[in-house]
Amino acid sequence: MLLGPIIYDSKLALVVDDSKMQCMMLSVLLQEEGYRVIIAHDGACGVAMYIEHQPDLVLMDINMPIMNGYEAARQIKKISHGSLAPLIFITSMDTDQAFIESVDAGGDSILVRPFTPAVFKAKIKAIQRVSDLYSQIKILQQEQQKDEELAEQLLTGVIGARNYAKDKIGIVKKSAAIFSGDIQLTALCPNGDVYILLGDFTGHGLRSSIGAIPLAETFRTMTKKGFLLNEIIKQINYQLYDLLPADLFLAACFVRVSSNTGSAKIFNAGLPDTYILSCDQLNKGQIKYKIGSIHPPLGILPELLPKTKAGIYAIEKSDRIILISDGVIEARNSAKEMYDIDRLEQCIIDSDFSQNIAVLIMQSVNEFCQGNSQEDDISIIDVPCNLEQEAIIATNNNNDKNDYSIEETIDQTTINEKITDDKTIDDNILAEHSASDDFTVVDFDLLAPPVWFWQLSLYGERLGQVNPIPLAMNQIQAIEGSGEHWHSLYTILTELFINALDHGVLELSSELKNSPQGFVEYFTIREQRLAKLIDGFIDIQLSYHLLDSGGRMVIKVKDSGKGFDSLKAFKNNSISLIEKKTLSGRGLELVNQLTETIEYQDNGTLVKASYVWDQNNS
Amino acid sequence: MSINQLISEDNKQVTISIDNNFDFSLHQHFRDSYSSCDLKNTTFFLNLSKTEYMDSSALGMILLLKDHADNIGGKVIIQKPNKSVNKILEIAQFHRLVTIEK
Repeated sequence: MLLGPIIYDSKLALVVDDSKMQCMMLSVLLQEEGYRVIIAHDGACGVAMYIEHQPDLVLMDINMPIMNGYEAARQIKKISHGSLAPLIFITSMDTDQAFIESVDAGGDSILVRPFTPAVFKAKIKAIQRVSDLYSQIKILQQEQQKDEELAEQLLTGVIGARNYAKDKIGIVKKSAAIFSGDIQLTALCPNGDVYILLGDFTGHGLRSSIGAIPLAETFRTMTKKGFLLNEIIKQINYQLYDLLPADLFLAACFVRVSSNTGSAKIFNAGLPDTYILSCDQLNKGQIKYKIGSIHPPLGILPELLPKTKAGIYAIEKSDRIILISDGVIEARNSAKEMYDIDRLEQCIIDSDFSQNIAVLIMQSVNEFCQGNSQEDDISIIDVPCNLEQEAIIATNNNNDKNDYSIEETIDQTTINEKITDDKTIDDNILAEHSASDDFTVVDFDLLAPPVWFWQLSLYGERLGQVNPIPLAMNQIQAIEGSGEHWHSLYTILTELFINALDHGVLELSSELKNSPQGFVEYFTIREQRLAKLIDGFIDIQLSYHLLDSGGRMVIKVKDSGKGFDSLKAFKNNSISLIEKKTLSGRGLELVNQLTETIEYQDNGTLVKASYVWDQNNS
Repeated sequence: MSINQLISEDNKQVTISIDNNFDFSLHQHFRDSYSSCDLKNTTFFLNLSKTEYMDSSALGMILLLKDHADNIGGKVIIQKPNKSVNKILEIAQFHRLVTIEK
């Protein structure tokens, strides 16, 4: 940094002394040192001249008429508040008392008469050296303050302002310095899931926030592209490992609230326990799950530790998820006691759930600390699990089904209309023909030729490792440009792929998902089978056809599984959905809603679907 | 000074003990306590029996010590953390990175 030049030869000194003789003598000496000099003959006049001329140095006699030197010094120091002009008392009173009083009055030094010109000049030089140092620090401080404020504005803009569902997700933060080492991010996945991140970088202040921008960018970009939670965590971990020094890292908790399946995925790496609370009328404030840290903070290891994956939890719409940074638990009162987990949990249990819990916790912490200075950044996030309504609208906006709810829109006839007759499922040879007889099924072969075609086949091991959906979405958006209308397609592709993988290749039964316990078990078995996957395949084909306004995407997903009775699956699914007995099958129903046609063939191992978007309607 | 350092006669074992608070204010002293110990296979014992409180920058400092130890083929063993310090190590899952002796 470039400091302003310090100019020695144009400084201004103010001499306050009732003796004209003394004034003259000091003036000569000061001028020899390159000062311009102004003179006052009493304290009051000295103060007035100080205000008018803002000198760089003040020499002050003690015994003067009207106002003495001590009083004048006090007033000057009060006016100059924090300014650097040193004030030296010049006196012939060589007593301890005079020395103490002059320092008390704000004097920076004292010079006792008689003194030689050489001693006087040395004194001036010494005091000027201190003053120069002081002004350098002052300039540095101001520069730093300006930089920090600018950077803080930038950070807040990049991070806070672009969060999703700011009105619903309660975020409370209080930082220990201008910069917070804590970061709170929320973003919407194309299928309507909401991703939430609470992060705590080591320490606080500027140093701790340098990782925040790359973190926010990666989190948002990957969420919007539809990457899975584990993929995002893996990437962020590597990125921070690569960017940050060894002693700087990120304790973080990642949450995915899945609106369609009534589940939450949570990965806690180094933060205090995350809570899932039951907040319905029966179980007011009951702590349903406590999700502890299962992994060291991110940015320490080049790769995530093996066998650590986000846990899956069944959630109700009335549930709330509470994330906190360690600043909450470690907040101290004047007796140096910590707020701690017991007080936190008591506050959660006692709270009235009509309010924002994050705000209540913050109030409780503030009450406990009673203004004791804050050592660490504090963050609390309160996530209501009923984020789905908004999310569904986001994926459904070109289908004019804004009042979507499972109970209302399940209609046996619409499902049967969309599914071809029994023969398609029972006999795939007949199906090829009968399909074209059904007026609601588009015969793909009769369509105008596609403007492009894309295919990806994944086999064995890679099938367990690679998520083809972001790849497909990238292709689509690279060719056709991005737009809201692809959100629904993302949902369709994801659901069809997951169905093919889970029920086809991995042979998982969705009946397992009928209870909250089974729900978790389902995902455990799924992980195990995925890890051991060595054969099997899934083939995804996309062909895109232009329409007068908009276009039609024809999707085929083929898997190597044994197939299933798809019509029965649809019927069972819709019945149980109506009776709200099941936690599964919502994905399939959603696809049914979003597609123009959907048809299972080859015993359910091949699904063909078409999706239409209309430019005038989106 | 709240950092004490003890080196065994063969220079292969370095014990660093920390009293009271283990936080950023000890940064330089903590680094000084091990940086000159660069004999191959040195074991660094970090004795926390008298440490009452530890913050996240202390975790960072332990990682720097671990880096140093790894570079010379040595290792770090954390000893006797008290309950609240252990809780912090546990939340950060540090037992998966270094040995912790209770």
